[in-house]
Amino acid sequence: MVRYLLRRLGFAVLLVFVVASASLVLTRLAPGDFATEAFGLGANPRTVARARARYGLDEPILTQYGLWLAHAARLDFGTSLLYGRPVAQLIPQRAANTALLALAALLLATLVGLPLGVVSGSRPGPLATAIRLVSLLLLSMPPLVTSLLFVFVAARTGWFPIGGMSSLDVSGFGLVRDVLWHLTLPAVALALPVAAMFERLQSQAMAEALTQPFVLAARARGVPPGRLIWRDALRVAIRPCASVYGLVVGTLLSGSFIVEIVTAWPGLGRLMYDALRARDVYLVTGCAAAGALFLAAGSVISDLALAAADPRVRAQ
Amino acid sequence: MQPGGTLVAAIRSEPRTFNRYASRDLTTEIISRLTQDKLIRINRATDQIEPRLADRWTRSADGLEYTLHLRPGVEFSDGVPFTSADVLFSFKAVYDPKTASPLGDAMRVGGRPLQVSAPTPSTVVIRFPSPFAPGLRLLDNLPILPRHLLQKALDQGTLASAWGPATPPSQMAGLGPFVLSEYQPGQRLVFTRNPHFWGKDARGRPLPYLDRLILDIVPDQNAELLRLEAGQIDMTTDAVRPEDYRSLKQAADQGRVKLIDLGVGLNADSLWFNLNRKSKAGDPRAAWLQSEAFRRAISYAVDRRRFADTVYLGEGVPVYGPISPANHTWFWTGTPETPYDPARARALLAGLGLTDRQGNGRLEDRAGRPVRFTLLTAKGSTALERGASVIRDALAKVGVTVDVVGLDVGALVQRFTTNAYDAVYFSVYSTDTDPALQLDFWLSSGSAHLWNFGEQTPATPWEAQIDDLMRRQVAAPRLADRQALFDQVQKIFAEHLPVLQFVAPRIYVAMSTRVTNATPALQRPQLLWNPEVLAVRGSSGTR
Amino acid sequence: MRHHLGWLRGIGLLIMGVVLLGAVAAPWLAPHAADDQHPDLLFAPPTWPHIRDAGGHWHAPFIYPLRLVSRLEQRYAPDRQVRVPLVWFTRGRLVMSADDRRAPLLLLGADSFGRDEFSRLLYGARLSLGVAAVAALGALLVGAVVGGIAGSAGGATEELLMRGAEFLLVLPAIYVILALRAVMPLVLPASTVFALLAGILALVGSPFIAQGVRAIVAAERRREYYAAAVACGAGRARLLFRHLLPSTRGFLLVQLTVLTPAFVLAEATLSYVGMGFPGPAPSWGSMLRDAANVSAIADFPWVLAPAAAIFLVVLGLNLILQGSGVDPAAAFHAGSPVRDAGPTADLR
Repeated sequence: MVRYLLRRLGFAVLLVFVVASASLVLTRLAPGDFATEAFGLGANPRTVARARARYGLDEPILTQYGLWLAHAARLDFGTSLLYGRPVAQLIPQRAANTALLALAALLLATLVGLPLGVVSGSRPGPLATAIRLVSLLLLSMPPLVTSLLFVFVAARTGWFPIGGMSSLDVSGFGLVRDVLWHLTLPAVALALPVAAMFERLQSQAMAEALTQPFVLAARARGVPPGRLIWRDALRVAIRPCASVYGLVVGTLLSGSFIVEIVTAWPGLGRLMYDALRARDVYLVTGCAAAGALFLAAGSVISDLALAAADPRVRAQ
Repeated sequence: MQPGGTLVAAIRSEPRTFNRYASRDLTTEIISRLTQDKLIRINRATDQIEPRLADRWTRSADGLEYTLHLRPGVEFSDGVPFTSADVLFSFKAVYDPKTASPLGDAMRVGGRPLQVSAPTPSTVVIRFPSPFAPGLRLLDNLPILPRHLLQKALDQGTLASAWGPATPPSQMAGLGPFVLSEYQPGQRLVFTRNPHFWGKDARGRPLPYLDRLILDIVPDQNAELLRLEAGQIDMTTDAVRPEDYRSLKQAADQGRVKLIDLGVGLNADSLWFNLNRKSKAGDPRAAWLQSEAFRRAISYAVDRRRFADTVYLGEGVPVYGPISPANHTWFWTGTPETPYDPARARALLAGLGLTDRQGNGRLEDRAGRPVRFTLLTAKGSTALERGASVIRDALAKVGVTVDVVGLDVGALVQRFTTNAYDAVYFSVYSTDTDPALQLDFWLSSGSAHLWNFGEQTPATPWEAQIDDLMRRQVAAPRLADRQALFDQVQKIFAEHLPVLQFVAPRIYVAMSTRVTNATPALQRPQLLWNPEVLAVRGSSGTR
Repeated sequence: MRHHLGWLRGIGLLIMGVVLLGAVAAPWLAPHAADDQHPDLLFAPPTWPHIRDAGGHWHAPFIYPLRLVSRLEQRYAPDRQVRVPLVWFTRGRLVMSADDRRAPLLLLGADSFGRDEFSRLLYGARLSLGVAAVAALGALLVGAVVGGIAGSAGGATEELLMRGAEFLLVLPAIYVILALRAVMPLVLPASTVFALLAGILALVGSPFIAQGVRAIVAAERRREYYAAAVACGAGRARLLFRHLLPSTRGFLLVQLTVLTPAFVLAEATLSYVGMGFPGPAPSWGSMLRDAANVSAIADFPWVLAPAAAIFLVVLGLNLILQGSGVDPAAAFHAGSPVRDAGPTADLR
């Protein structure tokens, strides 16, 4: 297990390195740079040239890449051209916001999806069919459209804020409530398809688990059905969900982009979007690396979760 | 007028800097208008100059020298008194070659800086290097910076990177009505009233009226509109897009927002071709692509009425030159019009040897090559994208194939500055109504000389003529003479059509009904050009 | 548990059948060409056919022409004084208005350029479904070959190929697209965009397939028939293509149904943010850009028609999967190209 984890870690480092390098080179290759973007059309060429020199954008790509590598080796990932702050300082801040959103969505999806899956998997009938149909509908809803609709509803009803993460002038307990209030729409938009997926996975696994001999044996012994389903069968049936959990964490973390943009949530996705728009080379590189790191971490968490749920994996 | 309260406006992008001398984007300009002040300001509503930090001035007999008397008792927001040394410092900074300020060009006359001296702490003498008719209007470009905070940066040659977005608000100070108190990246900028601000209203009450002004960062224009309608922000950054008119009208009918018609705008989106000879040297299409007759044919081929209907939902007037009829002082009423006439367009194209040789409805040149060019435009702007598609469809009807390509602005600018394009359709904003303050567009050596970027000396006799007329126009003392000279410029422009305009849209702005005392202007920023007099009804913010 | 939901599969098949029919027969079914513009009918509401006029008289199907009430507010009102009959089987189309220039038949209203939303939806099905299907087939092909080779070869080859696949999984597709865009000519014909999109999606989708195929193939290798084939002296290629890969057929078929809706969504997202098909091409994603203006959704809800179409296709394929006893939740993995397309969100 430890050797395996070490190997995964090595792979993650390599991955982040390659993704970061590719983003740096590709962002430089793409037409336009921070200076053309910042000064626009009709700017004095001398002014633009000065600015370019100031940002180190007049260097050839390879030189710039070499410089970046030398700094990155000392954990200095450059200074964002757009925000004038070190990339290494900007990203954790925004990543925390994204993590908050992703974890809220995950929690919501788990709390809604898993129990519903257990119910629909263990009690065939009209209720199970209804749950299943709703799940199918939700699975087919593109998150882009869901979040657009939510924002629209928020605008028309005023029940929820139309984006942002916090209001002005709140602190202490009020701030927590306020952030939760802002969190609701993006988290729900993100959680719905995941909840549906959990429900489906759990339902199927539950149905299968209930046909297993050990369940029959337990039933024969007179274990009450509630305990049978929620304790004995669930323990076995949780495996498929556990195996995708980490992957879901990864995709939620790196994949809340479109929701962040639509709902103006100041997370990593919005940061990357702004960085891409402004051609902020170092920030784009940093964001891409962070995204890759999230995904890699997700797959490690996935393996760990599976190990926790299945002793056989642990033994390997 | 009720003092106090909080107003929330929106901006489209993060501030790249708090240093107006290092950036010319709209966000920086808005922040500068909130936190800094100028010696003299152009009142955007009346288009006349008004005294600010300089409260009166005299002019020398030769008209080249102005003596400005600074308003007494003015202090920076950190309590340090404002003196003529700060003015001297600001001029030095804007001309500093290491800073290479984007404001530098606008502060030069005939390519030469103004001579500035400060005989006393409360007077400044400004001498123009050559006669300059707009005179002190020029000073509207220059916010005054605090010498006591930035002298070191200027000495070290790092002024351009000073006051970056990570600067703590406490390390900055200004003479404007507000001070930055908090910047939450990705979310908002909070400005509080500057207790040291010098301004008073007509009844002697201190300005600004507002206690706080918030700039919410809303990159998406649709989200911005929704927030305005829901009362979460009080005003939008820019004019109302035509496609938003409908929902804003409904909101206005319900009394939630105010929708204000400012009349025909000063700018029409521009179509221009790459007339740089060298960059098209090997291109067989250059013969027609860079010809005047081709541009004239396009002008005839586009139905401007239809253009206004499709792009601006009918809210615009046809224009045939770079000066909009809304610019009453400078618009030449004799501007020749090219009414919609596809037959005439076809005849002009045939005159270039472009005819339909294969009978497929599309034109070919004498060698049988198709008549086809690429039109670059900026992605994401409905008006530009729709305008480009109207042009494409209009030209398809006369047999010319246009490939419209939407690029993001950075990529577009890069192609423009390297002359790597056929044609561009883009919004080019004028910074002032007075053409003498837009020489970067008119002079062949200017940096906004759209159709031949990087040209040092006039490439054609008519560009030389425009250069000459503009130089005389700038120096002529009497308005009537300047107008006559500028009419000639517009005449030459209309003869050669280096840039085509089709429709100038009507400008609408929208704001919350709780905002009072706003004086919207045609130019950007329409509502925040005089933030000190804005006020809100009711108690502090809606949020 | 599964069998009594078999009707779901029927519904799914029905939905997909209708959509495919619409795509194939688009030129005949659509009343207009995809780029026909009606400049006086921007965002015009649907003109539904009537068979009974205001006076209560019965007629052959007809429509009321739309009159412009306010151009700026884009408000229209039907002119109930005039009846415009529908004509059938003319000019190679099933049905159209008798006065197509002034009173066009707009079954789903018009978009921001005054183009018939319904016709564009039909033509869009060809592009959107076409790209998705081609990309899914491509992903299967690449994935099966790579996974098959990895699974049958084992050792260093397997390690290398599978790490490569894992790498592709996390590489945000946006960079591939951006880089390609930078080196490609500005003007790309729609066919090139089609090929490019299909290629990129296939590449992004293939690792999922490769991983699955490798696992199956590796398991098959331990079976007796494989040892028998080896003993008979079968070559490596023969072993792979004749013996191992056929066992993945069921898996591949399921993955085809899983990848197609994911790719429909991916195309939509990419075109929506302006990195897919260019504006005039009627793909569902490029059509959805009209819906980016959220206030337009309230006033002109028909701009959401492409979203509904996407929803239907995804739902249809999910139902087929469900009815076949495979859970659509498996689609979640394949869905990630869509999520990765997020940061592209238009580089204005």
